[in-house]
Amino acid sequence: MAHPLSAALREIVGPRALLDRTSELLAYGSDGLPTYHSPPRLAVFPETRDALLAVIRLLAREGCPFVPRGAGTGLSAGALAADDAVIIGLNRLKAILSIDPVNRLAVVEPGAVNASISRAAARHGLHYAPDPSSQTACTIGGNVAENSGGPHCLKYGVTLNHIAELEVILPDGDLVTLGNANGECDGYDLLGAFIGSEGCFGIARQVTVRLSRNPEAVRTMLADFMALDAGARATSAIIARGIVPAALEMMDGPTIRAVEASIYAAGYPADADAVLLIELDGLAAGMDADVREVERICLECGARAVRIARDEAERARLWQGRKKAFGAMGRVAPSLVVQDAVIPRTKLPDVLRAIHSIAERWDIQVCNVFHAGDGNLHPNIGFDARDAEQSDRVHHAMREIMRACVDAGGTITGEHGVGLDKLEYMPLIFSPDSLDAQCRLRDVFDPAHRANPGKVVPVHACREWHMASAAR
Amino acid sequence: MMSVAAPDTSLGVAHHVREARDRRATLRIAGAAHWMNAGRPTSALGTLSLSALAGIVDYNPGDLTLTARAGTSLETIAHAAAAEHQWLALDPFGDPSGTLGATVATASSGPLACAFGTPRDNVLGLEIVTGDGRTIRSGGRVVKNVAGFDLTRLFTGSWGTLGVITEVTVRLRALPEVEDTLALSIDEHPETVGALLVRLRAAAIAPLALELVNAPLARVLGLAETMVLLIRLGGNADSVRAQRAALGFAGGITTVPASMWNVLRTCEPEHAMVMRISMPPSRLAECWVAARHVTHDVLHDATPDPTRVARGARPTLMHGTVERGVVRCIVPAPSSDAVDRAIAACATLPATVIFERLPDSAWPRVPHALHGRLAPRIRQTFDPDGILNPGILGATP
Repeated sequence: MAHPLSAALREIVGPRALLDRTSELLAYGSDGLPTYHSPPRLAVFPETRDALLAVIRLLAREGCPFVPRGAGTGLSAGALAADDAVIIGLNRLKAILSIDPVNRLAVVEPGAVNASISRAAARHGLHYAPDPSSQTACTIGGNVAENSGGPHCLKYGVTLNHIAELEVILPDGDLVTLGNANGECDGYDLLGAFIGSEGCFGIARQVTVRLSRNPEAVRTMLADFMALDAGARATSAIIARGIVPAALEMMDGPTIRAVEASIYAAGYPADADAVLLIELDGLAAGMDADVREVERICLECGARAVRIARDEAERARLWQGRKKAFGAMGRVAPSLVVQDAVIPRTKLPDVLRAIHSIAERWDIQVCNVFHAGDGNLHPNIGFDARDAEQSDRVHHAMREIMRACVDAGGTITGEHGVGLDKLEYMPLIFSPDSLDAQCRLRDVFDPAHRANPGKVVPVHACREWHMASAAR
Repeated sequence: MMSVAAPDTSLGVAHHVREARDRRATLRIAGAAHWMNAGRPTSALGTLSLSALAGIVDYNPGDLTLTARAGTSLETIAHAAAAEHQWLALDPFGDPSGTLGATVATASSGPLACAFGTPRDNVLGLEIVTGDGRTIRSGGRVVKNVAGFDLTRLFTGSWGTLGVITEVTVRLRALPEVEDTLALSIDEHPETVGALLVRLRAAAIAPLALELVNAPLARVLGLAETMVLLIRLGGNADSVRAQRAALGFAGGITTVPASMWNVLRTCEPEHAMVMRISMPPSRLAECWVAARHVTHDVLHDATPDPTRVARGARPTLMHGTVERGVVRCIVPAPSSDAVDRAIAACATLPATVIFERLPDSAWPRVPHALHGRLAPRIRQTFDPDGILNPGILGATP
């Protein structure tokens, strides 16, 4: 049966910007985390910012819930719609509206692809710094919703640090401007509160991003180790030395072998237990001294060799292995789950050992490829989702890994967001009162709970819910 | 009578907030109580002092993170971090005995914001007692965290109107291997300043701070009788040497003591009117002229008169954070007429103006900070009875 708002929405966006047939909607049933699947009944793809506003206002009038979706590359099942919720696809609103090279700002539509902003800014010697691995596909609107990171966030900061202003359509259809691209802000930091709200506070229909100067010099290095521990120790030692690499990434043995067996082979030594991909960038002067120092630290921590990319081609190849590591794992198993916990950097050796022993206990294969510099782990588990017993083991292992990270003083997600996938872990790190405070903030932006309902905060864990159920 | 409570635990803070709420009493939240004249006057009946809620809770140098109670002074943190060759890269104006909690609550920053951002970019997690007496935590102790809605950003800069910050976790950084503070004397002419800024923007430098100071402030700093550009460089020795060479185009650059930055932080006199005027960084020279117009011509209701200084009238001190396009003006002891004229003139500027300090009587003429439909509702949500710092951001409708 057709969605009750199908006809009215078609009026606004036109027939080619609306999907309501089951077969067409299958692709919108999952995001980048395929273990969740829930096809929507209706998806619209507004092609102008005014159409987007009209869509949200119609849904508000009708009291219909909606789920914003960018490129669908998210890794937390955050862009899935249940029941009557309408998917609002923002990927056709992809214009780069203006670039101000002097003040280093770009005004873009929410569906602008992350990498397209850097491409457009390149002729001014500028780029947009946050670089999720999916940057060739993911959208800036999705980045704002998730407060996305990426390898280069170690030095440059995450999405939060690079957004100057947002024009937001609140779930009831009101337009508000958050932040200020032309000066300072006073009052509450609503821009900061909106970034990372995972589509629950409304939809940004225009985004002003800060651009960064392209570095004068870049050096990319690969250090390989025969023990994971040694790589982790080198990571801490580099940061403690006061050198802030642009990126400091680690891949373990199973990841290295998956990458090297794939079309993304990057020339990593296949017998190593860990490699560190280290990139230094900035002013040319002083760079050599830092490169030598990083090399010395790695060797001192037990690196077999430290290779320095000689040219742009070699540099691109070293990075390709890292950025396409998830894709390479497709060869290992039909299904893949990835976690995103963050731990204090100095706990890396302990937690990596704990993950290894959890994997052995549950007889599963874990590959670690992650942002070591900021302690942001990405344990990947390859498995076969059609095998219920195996899936069950994977779930148990994931839970134990998450608990080990939290016990080490960490958090459950560093850049992927909570979505649906990490709802169950939220009470591990937040008390009922703290979760309730988050719910109450959502209530200010979306009192009717129509924007991306059911995500981020497990409502049943909030204090009010406990009180209500105690009263029953 | 004004009551003062100074609990030394966050439980104690929660107890006082709940008790105040039950009595329908209002509270002024204070750290070191240095900045009580910043922001609007509050109508609070009692004071909740965080001065006893002090001390570093956790410091792991290897992780470059530090957790401290809100009443911990910035100098205590600086001292502990320096022993590990690290620092908290925030230099808000005021005495270094000011507290971490107040810095975060007011989102205060100084010249280092050029390279390291403001408190929102450096705070990782908070413990807060909200206006309804509940204790909550936001963020965490790790450097990257997107779990849940970002209450850390919401409470940072909320001036205690949503809750009492009781504990803060911040990101530290390694101290630069070498530091160098340079001064360049320049002619205070908009075209000269504009041209210099264009060249600076293109230069191969990555300054930690880039601050323009006017002649009266340069005099206070013991630098010159002219406008001065202060440049703070940091990095390894090769990098600092090369950056200094890259500034060669300007000529006449001299090294000055790094203590300059502390003098700058504490230069404002007791009864000053302080405001910040901001525009996009490309228009800093224009912003500077506008700020000078408001604080000099308007305040003195006359064309600039150099003899006024000689006669003992204290001149306006001005400094501008180049990368951020912010000009901060410090007007010592203005008359109330002059303040009213300045506020009126600010309202006509094509710029964002934020007042830090004004005479109590002048605040009603400044638009309140909780505008729009969301901010008042947020205040209502976290402090439903309006007992915390009532009025400090303006009246809530």
